[in-house]
Amino acid sequence: MWRLNKVRHKAAGRHGDSLEELKLKRREHERALRQARRDRQLVSKRLLLNEDEDQPEVTMDTNSGEQDVVSLFHKLQQTGSEREARLKALSKALRDPSAQLAFIKQENSMHLLVGFLTGSDATCRLQAVRCLHELSHSPHTNVAPACLPATPYLLTYLSGQSTKFTELCLYTLGNLCPESDVVKEKLLAQGIIPALANCIENQRHNLAVVEAVGFTLSQLLQAKDAAEKIIPMVLASSLPSHLLSVLTPDPDFGLAPAIECAWCLHYLTCSTEDNRVLLAHGALLKCSSLLVSLGAAVAEGNKEEGMELLICPLLRCVGNLLSSCPVEDLSTQVGDVHIVVALCALLQAYLQTQPALARESAWVLNNLTAYSSALCSALLTFNLVPGLIQLLPFSQGINTMILRALANIAHKKKEFCVQLAHLGLLSALCATLKMADQEMVTLSMDVLFMLVVSGPQVAEEFVRQSGLSLLEAIQYNSKGDIRRRATHLLEHHLLSYSVDTPCS
Amino acid sequence: MQQPESVRPLITERHHPTGDTHERRPRETEEGNPFTFSPQLIHLHKDHELFEDGDITRHMYLQDLYISEADDKPTLSVSEFACHISGCSAVFSTLEEYEHHYNSLHRHVCCSCRRSLPSARLLDIHIQEWHDSLFAILAQRQDMYQCLVEGCGQKFRTSKLRKDHLIRLHKYPPDFRFDKTKKDRGTRETKRQQQKDTAMEVADDVCESEGVCEVMCDVLSNQLEHGESMETHVSQEEARMAKSDSTEEHADLSAAAHGAGNTSTESTKPRYSYRVPTSVCFGHGSVRGFRGRRGRRK
Repeated sequence: MWRLNKVRHKAAGRHGDSLEELKLKRREHERALRQARRDRQLVSKRLLLNEDEDQPEVTMDTNSGEQDVVSLFHKLQQTGSEREARLKALSKALRDPSAQLAFIKQENSMHLLVGFLTGSDATCRLQAVRCLHELSHSPHTNVAPACLPATPYLLTYLSGQSTKFTELCLYTLGNLCPESDVVKEKLLAQGIIPALANCIENQRHNLAVVEAVGFTLSQLLQAKDAAEKIIPMVLASSLPSHLLSVLTPDPDFGLAPAIECAWCLHYLTCSTEDNRVLLAHGALLKCSSLLVSLGAAVAEGNKEEGMELLICPLLRCVGNLLSSCPVEDLSTQVGDVHIVVALCALLQAYLQTQPALARESAWVLNNLTAYSSALCSALLTFNLVPGLIQLLPFSQGINTMILRALANIAHKKKEFCVQLAHLGLLSALCATLKMADQEMVTLSMDVLFMLVVSGPQVAEEFVRQSGLSLLEAIQYNSKGDIRRRATHLLEHHLLSYSVDTPCS
Repeated sequence: MQQPESVRPLITERHHPTGDTHERRPRETEEGNPFTFSPQLIHLHKDHELFEDGDITRHMYLQDLYISEADDKPTLSVSEFACHISGCSAVFSTLEEYEHHYNSLHRHVCCSCRRSLPSARLLDIHIQEWHDSLFAILAQRQDMYQCLVEGCGQKFRTSKLRKDHLIRLHKYPPDFRFDKTKKDRGTRETKRQQQKDTAMEVADDVCESEGVCEVMCDVLSNQLEHGESMETHVSQEEARMAKSDSTEEHADLSAAAHGAGNTSTESTKPRYSYRVPTSVCFGHGSVRGFRGRRGRRK
């Protein structure tokens, strides 16, 4: 299992790298990941370390590694009493990528491993699966497929009871999943989904195994064609309810299992627009109430390490589930109106450190306010609007989303418009109307319209804030639809406020 | 980096049918309502770019590269402001810069000749002295040239006399930019149809608009078609092209400017600009002030 503090140690001082070198490596890695995502090739594997390991050490020189592997292989083919030790040595040697290649090039090497995997010696089984795990983690594309003969057994063992062994089987399968369509199809045919469902059901108490199931499932669900083949099978199984039940983090074990299950749910909700099955399982209710408690924790300053790894997929689930949720069911599905408090807390907390997370929170806020008067009203009642208005300077999608949410509020009732104007939205609009972002300008005009027509006091206030000259200037905007909006407002709604003075 | 959200292949926007369960503002029924906003549910697909950063963090975590304190502070950016006046593409990082730009260059611009004046008063004086034929007539018989200094109140028979007054009494420099005579303007002026002898001029490097005048003209004349603009009659093209404007026309303009009455055909549209005379438009970007142009608006 992964403990986040373990990760921290890794990041600091691996192989004697200086801090700068580490930073550089991370940045390079990040760049590579971004490019992979843009190519729709974003895939990761996990390596489960041995108990005695703190960091993945690959210290040996590759040549000797290859030779070790070959000689170990030959020795293992002979019967003898040192098989466990040799298998253990083999698993260590297989950490090295070129040794991995050398191993699978040996004829019958996989057959040998499978033999140990299914043999009567439990320790040998463990070491064999360890070898397979190392192979599954290989960066070479032809290594993992070589492990296919082992998969039916790995799947069978998922219903076993040995924690470490099951974990290794799971992570090995999880690493194999994204390899190729051929591998995926084989695994699906061999029943990976029911196997995962059974495993999580039987091992529900064993959070390390639950985490591993979550990881493996997430690997399956990330496939490009998951929506057609995989997702329907998953939704039909008992997996959704188990995933939801794991979402509440265990205080002792940590966030990791919840993180994996949340990401599974995200892949399920974002791949399709019809989320009725998940809604029926109470997914929206569960995710939103979790966000309420997480938001409260964040607001109090209890930011547990890695919390955003859980918050992010939860936000996405809520956002996408909302877009499938019929309006009538909103109040039952969302439950607590304090969700808006939580979202605003997340927005403020992550604005500087993780603007992308703030942007996603703003998106969810838009979906919450789109068709719900109650939630719009809550934003006003809990006095969250001034804080939102203060976020309107921030670009890259944050201000447009927030302005949409505010527009949603204005759209509901004239009374809301009056309140919004009173809370400072009018003067904020006088600024946003001057922004370079055309979408902001257009949205601002539309919101301004709603405010101005809501009542004479708002129109008067707008005029008092030099709104007329602002609109007159906007009549010279290069974009026709913006000019028309300004003219329309001036001619139809602000006429009585214009003063015609003769010039000197 | 981030594109506008409005139209994207990966966002699916769901419109809920309008129901009676929520008190909904009735849609404006008047025709030609240009406002298009309506609440929208936004569904984001797995590969949407809004999800990029979160996905990267997730995979960094899977590959054991996650650290809770980011190496570099992620860039939180603030929206820029941009001058939207058609033809002007100045961009600013603060609202103050925007306001300064706008107030300096767009607020007091004479529509007839595109000159930008630094204040409403100087603009008023400019229009009066340059574009008002009535002024020329009156100036033959009485002192019409006002002192440019606010509060002085003195008037003079010619612009030369005023200039002397400015230099002697108010210690103005002899080459004060806002009091040049027509002769100082140089050959560029032959294009213009100035027949006034009065002179109030902003420095030459101001206001040559590199073709933007035409843009503005089109903008305005399009607006004129729908009777929406502040110019109630004479289109700018006409104003520009007419070499010897009939004094009648100018009388119309100045009459309108002086609020003396509507003589034009399209004058049914009310004027709602109180601050600025009707014959003044907000104009275009001028060259001065754009030398160190920050950047083009995208």
